[in-house]
Amino acid sequence: MTLSSSPSAAPASVRRRLLRRIGGDHVATDRAVLILHDVTKVYPNGKTALGDVDLVIPEGDFVFLVGPSGAGKSTLIKLLIRDELATRGAVILDGQDLARLPRRNVSKVRRKIGIVFQDFKLLPTKTVWENVAFALEVTGTPRGRIRPAVDRVLALVGLTAQQSQLPGQLSGGEQQRTAIARALVHDPRLIIADEPTGNLDPLISWEIIQLLLRINDLGVTVLMATHNADVVTALRKRVVALEEGRIIRDEVGGIYHRVD
Amino acid sequence: MFTFVAFSLKRAWEGFWRNALMSLAATATMVLMLLLLAGFWILQAGLQAGLEYTESKVEVVADLKDTATPADVTAIEDRLHLMPEVKDVHYVSREDALAIYRARLAEQGETDLTRYLDANPLHASLEVKLVDPKVFGDVVEKLRAEPAVDKVKEQQKTVDSLLTITNVLRTAGTVILIVIALIVLFIIVNTIRLAVVARAEEIEIMRLVGASDAFIRWPFVFEGAMVGLLGAALTLGVLFVAADPIGNFMIGFFTVLPLRFGTLTRDIIVLVAGAGLGLGILGSWVSVRTYLIR
Repeated sequence: MTLSSSPSAAPASVRRRLLRRIGGDHVATDRAVLILHDVTKVYPNGKTALGDVDLVIPEGDFVFLVGPSGAGKSTLIKLLIRDELATRGAVILDGQDLARLPRRNVSKVRRKIGIVFQDFKLLPTKTVWENVAFALEVTGTPRGRIRPAVDRVLALVGLTAQQSQLPGQLSGGEQQRTAIARALVHDPRLIIADEPTGNLDPLISWEIIQLLLRINDLGVTVLMATHNADVVTALRKRVVALEEGRIIRDEVGGIYHRVD
Repeated sequence: MFTFVAFSLKRAWEGFWRNALMSLAATATMVLMLLLLAGFWILQAGLQAGLEYTESKVEVVADLKDTATPADVTAIEDRLHLMPEVKDVHYVSREDALAIYRARLAEQGETDLTRYLDANPLHASLEVKLVDPKVFGDVVEKLRAEPAVDKVKEQQKTVDSLLTITNVLRTAGTVILIVIALIVLFIIVNTIRLAVVARAEEIEIMRLVGASDAFIRWPFVFEGAMVGLLGAALTLGVLFVAADPIGNFMIGFFTVLPLRFGTLTRDIIVLVAGAGLGLGILGSWVSVRTYLIR
């Protein structure tokens, strides 16, 4: 029963803390990149993946999303990119309620999010440059605007020299940096990184984290789901912990494991 | 708009060659299926022509009295021509009848015994071709009422059984063609689906980076259209090469039939090109839909 009692205690404290963070500064609320209000997600098979989740991520924040497998991290991310719709509650991304979003506008909202995966999801037959440019081509960006944008993000992630190589010729870290460049090329409001260091060794993982921190310094909000306890504990950023579909902890300067 | 079309066409072209094996497999399936479709279409056309030919043989024959004068005959002919159900009237004189009879005997290699006769035993007759072989009642009545007509040959039973057979064959031919068309549809749609599924990852990435449905769909639709047109072109090539040998083989068959080669060729080209293009587009459209935003 300890498990069920602690989540019920958590939301109140979370709300209080959120109020403290945002309180007295209404501009901050208006400029929240992401607001989840009482979000519940029940899958058609009856499984409740998320229950009464409240989460506000202000612009410029860097948030770690932690929790065991099956805690609801993937579901949360799917809700943010509107791959799934919440059963109850509101998901508001950059001021837009995703539940009320017409289907034809979904693609436009997705361009406000840059997403990075554990398995990179690069096209093996395209070069680094083409992989990044692909994100702009398929969204109808005029040819003249593609080249400077791609060159700029490749410089930012430090892959200008490797731009003509195929993903297969790159190291894991370089592949992930390519994926990050692709996520950045639309100038997104929010970068969602789903276990970005899951396939990388510790040293390379740190490189990727450093890159994400630098992007965050440039003003892009970052939400990173991870199992990497060392990174979370060392950085002392905001940590949102999910367990059995509920937020059990949301603290700034948090560590990976809960201190009981 | 221009960017979009150029992008879609470029992507379709890239996609076709990037997964060349898959695309060629889809094209090969397309060719085989279109050949099947075209083959059955030709058979069907032959069958229909055969049936029409057979039905055109149905006519009402009225034997004339030997006392009938040429003026009587002309008068009957004129009256028949006025009837809407009559297509053509042909007068066979007694001499003609004998000549036809002798020719038929000679053809069959029988001894001509008629030369031993001292008078022509045959009657002159009127052969009436009908617009619709099923509607002969009025014509028969009219002829029976003519004083110069000896007797009207009763063909009702023959006509009825012939029409039953031709109707069954006609329906069966159409049903078989529809079934074949459905089979072709399913096989082609599934082959294209395989080609699309092989690129599921690419589609997923497009969705994640915010590509709109149109940007995801149209390159695949164009690619499907390419497969369809290429398949249709190859099929027509094969048919063109095969047309002469088949034509020679069936020459006896076709010379009998009132088959219009020009129309058939045009129909086949329209059918193959249309089916190829349509199936290619439909196949991609249906296959990509699975991956679009829900």
